[in-house]
Amino acid sequence: MSVLTIAMPKGRIFEEAYELLIQAGFNLPAEMDMSRKLMLEIPEENIRFILAKPMDVPVYVEHGVADIGIAGKDVLLEQGRTVHELLDLKISTCYIASAGLPNTTMNEIAPRIATKYPEIATKYYKGIGEQVEIIELNGSIELAPMIGLADRIVDIVSTGRTLKENGLVEYEHITDVSSRLIANPVSYRLKGERITDLVRRLKPIVNERVDV
Amino acid sequence: MSMIQMFEKPLGMRDTFPAIYEKLENVRKTGRNYLRAHGYEFIKTPTVEYYDTIGKASAIYDASLFKLVDSQGNTLVLRPDMTTPIARVATSKLLKEKIPLRLAYFANVFRAQETEGGRPAEFDQMGIELIGDASVYADAEVILTAAGLMKEFSVPSFKLTIGHAGILQSILNSYTDTDAQAEELRILLVQKNFVGFEEAVLAFELPTMKTQSLLQFIEEASNFLSLSQIEKYVTKNDALLYMKELEVLLTEAGLTDEIAFDFTLASHMNYYTGMLFEVFAAGSGFPIGNGGRYDGLLHSFGQTVGATGFGLRVDRLLEVLPKEFEQESATLVLFEQGAYTKALTKANALRAQGQRVTLQAKASLTNEAAFTAGFSEVVVVGQED
Repeated sequence: MSVLTIAMPKGRIFEEAYELLIQAGFNLPAEMDMSRKLMLEIPEENIRFILAKPMDVPVYVEHGVADIGIAGKDVLLEQGRTVHELLDLKISTCYIASAGLPNTTMNEIAPRIATKYPEIATKYYKGIGEQVEIIELNGSIELAPMIGLADRIVDIVSTGRTLKENGLVEYEHITDVSSRLIANPVSYRLKGERITDLVRRLKPIVNERVDV
Repeated sequence: MSMIQMFEKPLGMRDTFPAIYEKLENVRKTGRNYLRAHGYEFIKTPTVEYYDTIGKASAIYDASLFKLVDSQGNTLVLRPDMTTPIARVATSKLLKEKIPLRLAYFANVFRAQETEGGRPAEFDQMGIELIGDASVYADAEVILTAAGLMKEFSVPSFKLTIGHAGILQSILNSYTDTDAQAEELRILLVQKNFVGFEEAVLAFELPTMKTQSLLQFIEEASNFLSLSQIEKYVTKNDALLYMKELEVLLTEAGLTDEIAFDFTLASHMNYYTGMLFEVFAAGSGFPIGNGGRYDGLLHSFGQTVGATGFGLRVDRLLEVLPKEFEQESATLVLFEQGAYTKALTKANALRAQGQRVTLQAKASLTNEAAFTAGFSEVVVVGQED
């Protein structure tokens, strides 16, 4: 049986997902040495974890160097990669929304949108019949409307606190986001049994957690 | 834009160095012999075609087409696949001479350049088209030929996943309330978005029986080892009987371990009307090839005969080939000053025995070790001996 490589985002999502796997009955060490290692071998289960930036997980999975992975729906929507989306893990739930200064309308001639998600923003505004100009930023997006770089921002919102603290209000709810289990199309065929088994074991746990 | 350096090639383009060239040639030769032995005739079409005909009819996404403009202002495409040009040739000419047609190709095809690595804008494809036969035997032949070709290449572990566009459509139609719902679900399956499928099913608020059936379908229908498992979802119809016949034909031909059925398999092109399949192999993160029945494509060229076929991506095939496929011996005859004639005689004698021989003056070499490294045998010819 060949090893199953799982690409995981570093940090909090890793810990939550790791916990889910333990609950699903996978024989994983309770304490994980999370030092600076990028690859973790679990010989007991014939599993290998690779730890990547959240944005990079779909890249590893699409190219097939990881069989499966855990990626945010925001990243999947933004990158549009050819991967199978198998299961909603319902962890790190949040949503993507547009926001801006209160009581403002968008510039009529060339509304400008600052965002980390140019694809999602373009698609959304196209869908509601607005042609907008996108300004791609890498972080602290809230700054853009405050100092007049953009009319609106499109960003992840989890509690809405950051928006509030910076004097911004939410305008439109664009889409819900949570972590998803994704698979490489070839691995899904050639290691199909292991992957479907994993999905079957995770599913009830994921659903139970939410119902509580 | 940074200045283009002298060593650069256009984005997505690759050179083929001797080692890869030989490997490719080997694949071409093996494949060509195999396909010709199965009654397929090779054909070549132009590298460039009209966007309005081939470009639009092709299964390749519009954004993935490599577009150009000709001197008359027409938009052209570098051929994105071979199926569409072959459909053009077949419908306009060849079908008038003979039906059914068995055509094969080995050709380079093109895709729009992409900035991310691992996505060549030009690569080779090998495949067949069986045009003018709408029977189940034609589909069985295509699947068996695809599997046979993979075996001929000694690909160690491969799998063919077979689905049926008609069966999927009838399942989606019978368990939803509107055509729009069925289409939404079909698109989610094209994207392989199983999570989205479940969400959509729940959001439709269908009768409980329908919801349950769809949820169960999505959970298990992507990995059936036998056709009987799909029967509970569909009322007996022609498509199901057709697939049963196909399964029998494949089993009788000895193809069982390498195939699986996936009734969630859907293509973004609606010209796939019947059976469709994908080819996977360990060692490549991307599918090796795909095929299916595409009667709908022929319709767009004004013909109503059936057509089926498959294509393999040779660049991905190379990644999964076993190592022994590429071995070849080569002899080097090095001659010293004044020994040219003697060395030439020696080299020609070896060549007559069928060996690959390189003849090289020793004095011209600046680094003898590096030069001789690639040869399996080195013969030095001096004046004395």
